[in-house]
Amino acid sequence: MTETISIDPVTRLEGHYAVKVELQDGRVSSAHSSGEMFRGFETILKGRSPMDAQQITQRICGVCPISHGTASILAQDQAYGVEPPKGGRLLRNLILGANYIQSHVVHFYQLSALDFIDVTAVLGYGGSDPVLLHIKKWIAGQTASKSVFPAAPFLPRLKGDYIADTDLNLGGLRHYVDALGVRAKAHQMAALFGGKVPHSTALVPGGVTQRVTADNIAAYGAMLRDVQQFVDNVYLPDVVAVAQAYLGYFEIGRGCNEFLAYGVFPEDNGEPMLPSGIFSGGSVKAFDHELITEDVRYSLFDSPSGLRPGQGQTNAAPDKAGAYSWIKAPRYGGRPMEVGPLARLLVAHGQGHAVVKPMIDGLLAKLTLGPEALVSVMGRHAARALECKIVADRCAGWLDELRPGMATFSDFQIPDKAQGMGLTEAPRGALGHWINISGGRIGGYQCVVPSTWNCSPRDDKGTPGPVEQALVGTPVADLDNPLEAARVVRSFDPCLACAVH
Amino acid sequence: MSLFSRREFLKLGAQMAALLGVGAAMGPKAASALESMAAGEAPVLWLQGQSCSGCSVSLLNSVAPDPLDLLTRYISLWFHSTLSAATGHQCMDLINDGIAKGGYFLAVEGSIPQGMPKACVIGHEPITEQVARAAKSAKAVVAVGACAAFGGIPAAEGNPTGSVSVPDFLKEQGITTPVIRLPGCPVHPDWVVGTLVHVIKFGMPELDAMGRPKAFFGRLVHDQCPRFSDYERENFAKTFSEDGCLFKLGCLGPITHADCTLRQWNGGVNTCIRAGAPCIGCASDKFAKAKDFPFYRKGEAKAPQGGHS
Repeated sequence: MTETISIDPVTRLEGHYAVKVELQDGRVSSAHSSGEMFRGFETILKGRSPMDAQQITQRICGVCPISHGTASILAQDQAYGVEPPKGGRLLRNLILGANYIQSHVVHFYQLSALDFIDVTAVLGYGGSDPVLLHIKKWIAGQTASKSVFPAAPFLPRLKGDYIADTDLNLGGLRHYVDALGVRAKAHQMAALFGGKVPHSTALVPGGVTQRVTADNIAAYGAMLRDVQQFVDNVYLPDVVAVAQAYLGYFEIGRGCNEFLAYGVFPEDNGEPMLPSGIFSGGSVKAFDHELITEDVRYSLFDSPSGLRPGQGQTNAAPDKAGAYSWIKAPRYGGRPMEVGPLARLLVAHGQGHAVVKPMIDGLLAKLTLGPEALVSVMGRHAARALECKIVADRCAGWLDELRPGMATFSDFQIPDKAQGMGLTEAPRGALGHWINISGGRIGGYQCVVPSTWNCSPRDDKGTPGPVEQALVGTPVADLDNPLEAARVVRSFDPCLACAVH
Repeated sequence: MSLFSRREFLKLGAQMAALLGVGAAMGPKAASALESMAAGEAPVLWLQGQSCSGCSVSLLNSVAPDPLDLLTRYISLWFHSTLSAATGHQCMDLINDGIAKGGYFLAVEGSIPQGMPKACVIGHEPITEQVARAAKSAKAVVAVGACAAFGGIPAAEGNPTGSVSVPDFLKEQGITTPVIRLPGCPVHPDWVVGTLVHVIKFGMPELDAMGRPKAFFGRLVHDQCPRFSDYERENFAKTFSEDGCLFKLGCLGPITHADCTLRQWNGGVNTCIRAGAPCIGCASDKFAKAKDFPFYRKGEAKAPQGGHS
C-alpha cells in the first residue's frame, strides 16, 4: 500500500524547504525535494558594478556568507588578473575557517541534536549544574503556568526513538547550550579579520581590507584554543556517542553515492588544503568544471535547460506545469553529485591525504565499520565533525604564519570586459560563482551552490537529486511522526536560501 | 571554558549577598522584572519571508543576554523555523494556534514577494497571506533586518518578485498594527533585544519619521566614526587596507544612520570601518536598491550620490 506524507516545512535548517515522500510497506519508495523561496540574485546583479557582487552574494545566505564572498572575490580576482599577497590569502583562510567552525557546530547542536537528544530528560535532573537546573526549572514552570506553548522552541517535537541514556541526554543538552557560546566565539574570530559576521565587509578582490596586528593574532589564537578544546573534547565525543546509539543510521540515507569537491583553503604552494576531485566507485578522478550543467525541467524557470553556468539563465516561471521546486538541478557529466564535508573527506581520503586518511581510518576502526558506512546519515555527521577539527587545527597553522604589518591586499583595475570563475567550498559543499563583465558592469552572474546540488529536484532525464535518492529506503515507523526521514534530510545540512538564491 | 554567564554572575551575587547578610530584596530588581517576561506575557512569533536567516544568526551572537537567557528569561519564542524542534505539520499547527490565540509580538525577517506570492511559501501557504494574518492578531510587528525593514536586496532594482518591505506590505493590506523598522544587514543583536524588551516591557520605543528606534538609528555612522579625525585632516585612503578616511573609496557612513561603530559587532570585537572596509550603508533605507549606486568608488574622488538617510 502506498501512502504519501509531506514534511512541510522542514525546520532546523536554513530557509524554506518541503519534502514529500511516498511510502510502501513502511519504507520511503520515492521522494520529492522542493525549494520554496526565490529572490532572483542573479537577475538583481545584472547591470551592477562588479565589486557589488561580493557584498550582494554574501546576502544569499546568512549562515555561510563568507563562502559566497570568497567565491565572488575569487571570480573577480580571476577577472581582474590580481592575486592576493600571502597575508591576504592567510586572512581569507582564517575568516573562512572560523565560519566553517561556527557552521558545523551549529549544524550538529542547534539543527540536528534535537532529533536525537531527549530534552525532557532534564526534568529528572538531580545534579548541581546551574544551566541544567535552570532549564529544568524553566520547563517545569512553563508547563505549570499553562504557557500557550510550554518550552517552545524546544517543544513540541516529533514523537520517536530518542536517546534513552540519561547521561547522554543531559550532556547533549548542556552541550547544546555550550555550543551557542562556541559558535558565537567562532564568529568573533571571523569578525576580527572580517569586520563583522554575518556578511563580512573586509573581503575584497585582491585580498582583505583588514591588516595584520599582533593584538588580532593574539585574540584569534586565544579564541581558537577555546574552540579547539570544545571540538576535541565535546563535539567529536558527542558525535561518536550519538553514532554509537544509532548505528542503524550508518545504513540509512545513502544517496547518489557520487561525490564532488572543488577544493578549498589555498596553501602556499597554490594547492588547496582539502583537495578537489570526484569520488565515485571507490576511487578519485580529476574534476573538470566544463562538465557542470544545470537542468530546469522540474524547476520553476522557463529559461533553457542544460546550460553551463557561465552561460546560465534564470527566468522565473512560478506557474510552470510539472515543475515542483525553485531549485535548479545541477549535474556533473549528466549525473547528480553529493557535496559537503563527506564529499571533501572522501575525495581527500581517496588521495591518501596525510591528515584526513588516518582520522577517517581511526574513526572507522573505533566504530568497527567499513568505509561504505560513511555514505549515510551518521557518516555525514561524523565527516562534518572530523572536518571541523581538521579546519580548526589548520587555522592554528595559518595564524602562526601571520606577521604584523604584512601586506593583505594587492591593487587592481576593473576591466571593461572580462570573465571569471570562483570555485571554493562552503561548509555545505562545492560552491561556484561565474561572473561576466561587460562595459565595466556585470553582464551575467551565476551561482551553483552546495544545496543546489544536494537538494536538487529531478533532472531532465528524471533522475532524482541526492537528498531525494537518500530518502529512498528509509523506514518510517509512524506516518504522523516522520522523524527518520527528517534525520536523513538534516544530515545534508540543507541551506535553502543558498540552493535557490 | 567561558567567562561567567550573566546567570552565574547573578547566582554569585546572591551568594555574596548572603555572606554579607544582605537580604534578597537588595538583589537586582530590573533583572528580575525582565526575567518574569518569559513566564508568558512575552510571546514572540518569528516568521521568515525572503530572508537569508542572517538576522537570526546575528541574534544568536547576542552577548547579554546570551541566547539561552533570551529564550528562557526574556521571550517565549513560540515558533522559529531555524530553532524550533517542531517539524512539518506541527509547525503550521503552532503558527495557526498562535495566531488564533493572539497577544504575541510578531518578528518578521526577510522581505515580502508582493508581486509573486509563490516566491515564498511555508506549509503550502504564501508568506504574503501568513504575514498578513499574523500581523493582524499581533500586539506589534518588528521588521527585523534590511529586507523586512526596507526591502533590502530582494527588493533591489530589477528584482523579479515584486518584493517589498514588511511595513509597505502591511500598509498595502490596510493592516494597522504598529510596526517598528530595525534595518541593518544583518541586524545587530542588541537592536533586536533592546527593541523587544522596550516594546514588551515598556511600550513603544521612541521612533523616527521612518519608524526606526531613535536609540539605535538616531545618529550618522560618520559622526561616530573611528576614522573621523582622518576625515577632518583630509587624510584619505586611496585604496583598500590603507590608513585614513574611507570616504573616497565610497564609504556611506556620512549618509547612514546607525550606532554600529560605537556598539561594534560580534561582542565588540570589530566594526567594518575599523577593519578598513568602507560602510556600505546596510542600515540605510536605500541599501543596495539602485544598480547605478555602487557600494565602492575605488579610485574615484566623487562623493556618493543618492538620497540615503
